[in-house]
Amino acid sequence: MFERIYNWIDCRIGLTELIRKEFKEYYVPRDVSLWSTLGFVTLVGFLIQAITGIFLLTYYVPHPDHAFASILKIMNRVPYGWLFRTMHIVGANLLMIVLFLHIIFVFYRAGYKKPRELNWLTGAVLFVVILLFCITGYLLPWSQLSYWSTTIMTAIPTIIPGVGDYISRFIKGGEYVTGITLTRFFAFHVAFLPFILIVIAALHVFFIWRTGFSSLYDDPEICKKVVIYTGRPQYKDGKPFYPDFFNKYMLMMFVYLIAMFFIITFNPDMFLSEYAYVQADPLSTPLMIRPPWYFLAPYAMIRVIPNKFLGISIQLILLVLFLVWPFLDTGDEKNIRKRPILLGLFSVAIITWVVLTFLGRF
Amino acid sequence: MERRGFLKSLFSVLSLTALASFIYPLFKFLSPRAVSARLKKVTIARKDVPAGGAFKVNVNDTPVIVIHHPNKGYIALSRVCTHLGCLVDYDSATGRIICPCHGANFTVEGKVISGPAPRPLKKMPLLLKGDSILIG
Amino acid sequence: MRRWVFIVLLVLVMATPLHADFRDLFQRQFIDKPWGGAPIVREGVCVDCHTSKIMNPDYLKIPQEWKMSIHYKNKVSCHDCHGGDPNDAAVSCGTPHSGFIGTPKYREVPELCGRCHVGILKNYLTSGHGKALKTTGKGPNCVTCHGAHNTQKASIDIINDVRCTKCHSYERARIMKQALFSTEKKISELDSIMTSMRKSGALVEDLEKRLFRTTAEFRTIFHTVDVNLVKAKTDEYLNKLGLIEKDLLSLVNEYKFRRNFSAFLLVLFTALGIITYIRQKF
Repeated sequence: MFERIYNWIDCRIGLTELIRKEFKEYYVPRDVSLWSTLGFVTLVGFLIQAITGIFLLTYYVPHPDHAFASILKIMNRVPYGWLFRTMHIVGANLLMIVLFLHIIFVFYRAGYKKPRELNWLTGAVLFVVILLFCITGYLLPWSQLSYWSTTIMTAIPTIIPGVGDYISRFIKGGEYVTGITLTRFFAFHVAFLPFILIVIAALHVFFIWRTGFSSLYDDPEICKKVVIYTGRPQYKDGKPFYPDFFNKYMLMMFVYLIAMFFIITFNPDMFLSEYAYVQADPLSTPLMIRPPWYFLAPYAMIRVIPNKFLGISIQLILLVLFLVWPFLDTGDEKNIRKRPILLGLFSVAIITWVVLTFLGRF
Repeated sequence: MERRGFLKSLFSVLSLTALASFIYPLFKFLSPRAVSARLKKVTIARKDVPAGGAFKVNVNDTPVIVIHHPNKGYIALSRVCTHLGCLVDYDSATGRIICPCHGANFTVEGKVISGPAPRPLKKMPLLLKGDSILIG
Repeated sequence: MRRWVFIVLLVLVMATPLHADFRDLFQRQFIDKPWGGAPIVREGVCVDCHTSKIMNPDYLKIPQEWKMSIHYKNKVSCHDCHGGDPNDAAVSCGTPHSGFIGTPKYREVPELCGRCHVGILKNYLTSGHGKALKTTGKGPNCVTCHGAHNTQKASIDIINDVRCTKCHSYERARIMKQALFSTEKKISELDSIMTSMRKSGALVEDLEKRLFRTTAEFRTIFHTVDVNLVKAKTDEYLNKLGLIEKDLLSLVNEYKFRRNFSAFLLVLFTALGIITYIRQKF
């Protein structure tokens, strides 16, 4: 019976030929490992966020008088509401972890060098979009944690001289974080950003499909003298994408789900503090306000550097560097182990990030 | 071969179970809530509530007070104070409802006059039917 | 060239913890600003004078004591008990027109507290303590057991052999404490479970209200200082607490179910992961 359905579809869109060409006959380079699956895992993570988010949308009310109560209702009164909400929260944090690992690995393997500059560019934009998802989503529960965290984060642009105050007020929709802020963050989180993300993610996947997996054995002459597209590199000594590498994809997807449900079973409030279940009170500042862990490093940097303008400028410069890196590092050498200075800077950057994150906790 | 086949079918069974473990909660998540057990109405006799006085009764596990105000007629209010939950009482001398715990004062219609209560007392639906009063 | 740019930037970042007080600076620049819609509430003129150098030293400690009290936590301040206008010192302290009561007379303390704690006043006046106070002017008033300004949340430890032996032997107080003991123990058990459930996001408001009113009613009865009455009522209150406990336990069980369900999904995904791993290997 399944065979009949399959044949019907196959005759119309050539499914067999598609699977054969894209999956069975595509060989991945032999130096590709489990780390290379992280991009797919990020996609899976994001899909989980989208699906759980859409279902939460059926009960959430984006108004300051009802937002917190609707979240408590989802957690306590709606059947299995707790499951989807907890998946959404744990998923968001896990997604950030996987995203960081993905970026680190792509950088380490020089997956941004030609002809893959556009992959990196779209990926960097996706990173910024996902950070925006996190910022906008954090306010939505309208708890003490949400409100005060957002207050601090939207105050940071005020450091920029001249336009800083205006930017801060523009983001908040007023002088303070109010219902206006909530509704616009909601609109961004639920409509505007998903649209942008789908478009850019589609481009990202398209570019990766056209350029193929990056390998240290890639021909460095590609796009140099001969500037026409020569197709994806063929790795005859590699392994077929299907079933070998596809199984790696599946395995890492399950590892992600195992991590998610491990946290949900044993410590579902791991990423929340006690203020996450207290309604926002604009007149009462809690004792320890901190942004979520993935923002602790930039937060700590701004706190620690005495000149605040310098603090924010360094971060903006780093962000721009991050976006245009493929156009700065254009050499032929892909193996980072043969580039000690870059390896050194890269390690220092990661260590600095970890140190700043710890510093930001206190 | 045998092991491969076994693994493959085990995989399918477990995947279907996993899928069902999400589809079922999703279905329950979106289903309309069943109307909770018919809320019972409580009937009391009119004569139980003297003019200018009050009568206490339990309606669906909520303590309720029925007041017969000379001008405003019969009013049924929840006795649960909106501050911390103590049961309020009607003081016919002053015509006010008072909470014994922290002195919250309410009007006979349940509106807050003074004290720490943040919201008015919840009104209970009340129906006059001949010699009886139906609450709930 | 590019290398040096990067090195310089990174050195700048690494060498920044130079300001030891960066936390305070940040606190002042970002956190302590009036972010809410309203300006920070002033404490009223009472505190201004009572913390100034010209105040009688006996009264200097009062604002500090009040700030540690349960009244302060619930935003009950000076004028709520002592009357007066919190914004106008001349009106408050000079004349009784604003309803200002300075230090109440020893005999009149219960009526001052009883303006809010209505139910307790009623029972206290019928008690041996209340009658002693009203007839002889001696005897415990509210402040004797609960303190004047550093009032804390009531607990069974207020009854002890230091406090209760001022007029009579500890024997009577000990019997009363024993009578209260099991009920009080149950109350604190239920309270701690509810607090931890609330911190995990459970909707315990109704249960908390039920517990509070049961506790308040029970403790109000205590103020009659009638051991027989307390003993007679103990069963009734333990039953009420039992009903609350039943509902609380069903909530706790719901949370246990959630954990089991997630554990089931975890096991399922682990099995699927292991199968995929095996299939990948062989």
